[in-house]
Amino acid sequence: MKLKIWVTVIAALVILVLGMAIGSVFVTPADSLAIIWHKLTHTAMPASIKATDVSIIWNLRLPRALLAFIVGAALSVSGAVMQSVLKNPLASSYTLGVSSGASLGASLVILCGITLPLLKMFTLPILGFAFGLGTILLSITIASRLDSSLENNTIILTGMVISLFTNAVVTLISAMSREHIQQLIYWQMGSFSLKDWNTVFILLPITLLGTLVVVHYNRELDMLTFGEEQAKSMGVNTVRVKWILLVIAAAVTGSAISFVGVIGFVDLVAPHIVRKIFGSRHRYVIPMSAVLGGAFMVACDLAARTIVPMQDLPVGAVTAIIGAPFFAYVYFSKRKGDA
Amino acid sequence: MLTASGINVSYGKTQVVFDVSFEVADNENICVLGPNGCGKTTLLKAIAGILPHSGAVLIDGRDTNAMRRREVSLKIAMMSQSQGIYFSYTVYDAVMMGRYLHIKDGVFGSPSSGDRDFVADCLKSVGLLDVAKKEISQLSGGQLQRVFFARTLAQEPQIILLDEPTNHLDMKYQIELIEYLREWSRIDGHSVIGVLHDINLAMRLSENMLIMREGRTAACGRVGEDVTAKLLGDVYGVDVVGFMRESLNKWEESMS
Repeated sequence: MKLKIWVTVIAALVILVLGMAIGSVFVTPADSLAIIWHKLTHTAMPASIKATDVSIIWNLRLPRALLAFIVGAALSVSGAVMQSVLKNPLASSYTLGVSSGASLGASLVILCGITLPLLKMFTLPILGFAFGLGTILLSITIASRLDSSLENNTIILTGMVISLFTNAVVTLISAMSREHIQQLIYWQMGSFSLKDWNTVFILLPITLLGTLVVVHYNRELDMLTFGEEQAKSMGVNTVRVKWILLVIAAAVTGSAISFVGVIGFVDLVAPHIVRKIFGSRHRYVIPMSAVLGGAFMVACDLAARTIVPMQDLPVGAVTAIIGAPFFAYVYFSKRKGDA
Repeated sequence: MLTASGINVSYGKTQVVFDVSFEVADNENICVLGPNGCGKTTLLKAIAGILPHSGAVLIDGRDTNAMRRREVSLKIAMMSQSQGIYFSYTVYDAVMMGRYLHIKDGVFGSPSSGDRDFVADCLKSVGLLDVAKKEISQLSGGQLQRVFFARTLAQEPQIILLDEPTNHLDMKYQIELIEYLREWSRIDGHSVIGVLHDINLAMRLSENMLIMREGRTAACGRVGEDVTAKLLGDVYGVDVVGFMRESLNKWEESMS
């Protein structure tokens, strides 16, 4: 187990460094690391490193790669939580409508220029979180009316319906304000371009704190995968734990999405692969989902900005191209297992 | 000592259990019997505090409704009918979950050597020690059932509630399980409340029976006294005792 963890963590770091080195201007990984080292320790740059490279790495690629990593981690951790709490391998913020809810909140902020008093900088993540949480509550309420066990596909279907509905509202809003339409469409596909250190500094503590709280509940998550009744019988205060976990999951995704736009499927792919490699225990599933999901996102972003030269593709499209077939694979192999 | 008095349970507007009362003394067991859909499982869940109910469940005089979840679970463990496995764990890890309330809360909540020994003992009792590292998704229905039983034992409760514990089990393990429960209930004020389909196994577990019909108590007491052949015949709609005699005769004839 230890070996697997080390291999994964080192692979993730390598991907992170490559994510900085590769681009329209190639900076060697060694130079990239040297630039970060000298910036962090406030020592003078070696003369061999060009000033433009320093600027590219420190101001553009490092924050972008870190942000991709944080968002990937945030989405994957919350995906893992939702799957376990709802006992459904297909649950994720994307399939439950958190993403589209958060995007509705964010588009209202962008279009109407709303800012919360006192919390100006946090307007976007707070509204993203509130709308994300609102949608997941709506999904779960409707689904539990239809099927109180929430164990089969009702919750996924409800989430899909709500997603489609919310997306339609976003589309309507954007259609009515043509000057923002480009911005909104691009945003709905998800992108890490034009993000700076500020976003990293807002999302990093939210994600880190959320992940730590979730890790703290790792044993409760293990037990919840056997169903609420069994967890309760073993002594878990299920109502409280379930709500804490779902709220954190929605908060972490909602705030991430509100900055970078809708990015789907990572939250489904990463935890699934982690469970295959590390087993189902959440003391491994949660941290490793963060590492793997983060690395996956950095790789997807790298692909998004390098596949077509000089053009930034929306990273949401890249993750979906990889993730959608994967979703189908999980869905159908699960159905085969049921039969 | 567990006392249930006037238990009512409803799912939404539909009431399923009506005014059921019974008592189990320390080191005694009781079987809950009745036809399908008579509310046995629901009653069991209410006693475990998993389903909201009116009426009182007292453990040694304390009302479970006034106790916190962890306090109830330190006294009562319920082994449910096994459902689908959505996420797999090793046999050992699954049984360790039963130690949840006994493990000191750290960052990860790591088990102590005492917990590990206890789990090993539970696995030994159900004969699964040699498959401790196997994934539960790869087990047979009977083995899985024994994993859940080991997990219930790992909880170290005073009272064990069992819902159809012998499902999927071979006859050998059915008998072993009942024998094990009888032994277990002889010490430390333990009690078993078992919902069993098989009346023969029920007779082996305890002569105290609660017979339910359509959510109500049809009879409660000892076999032969309160629970008569006529009553069983009425509740099940077949001559239960006659059927058992007939079966026995058939065995005797063909095996002699």
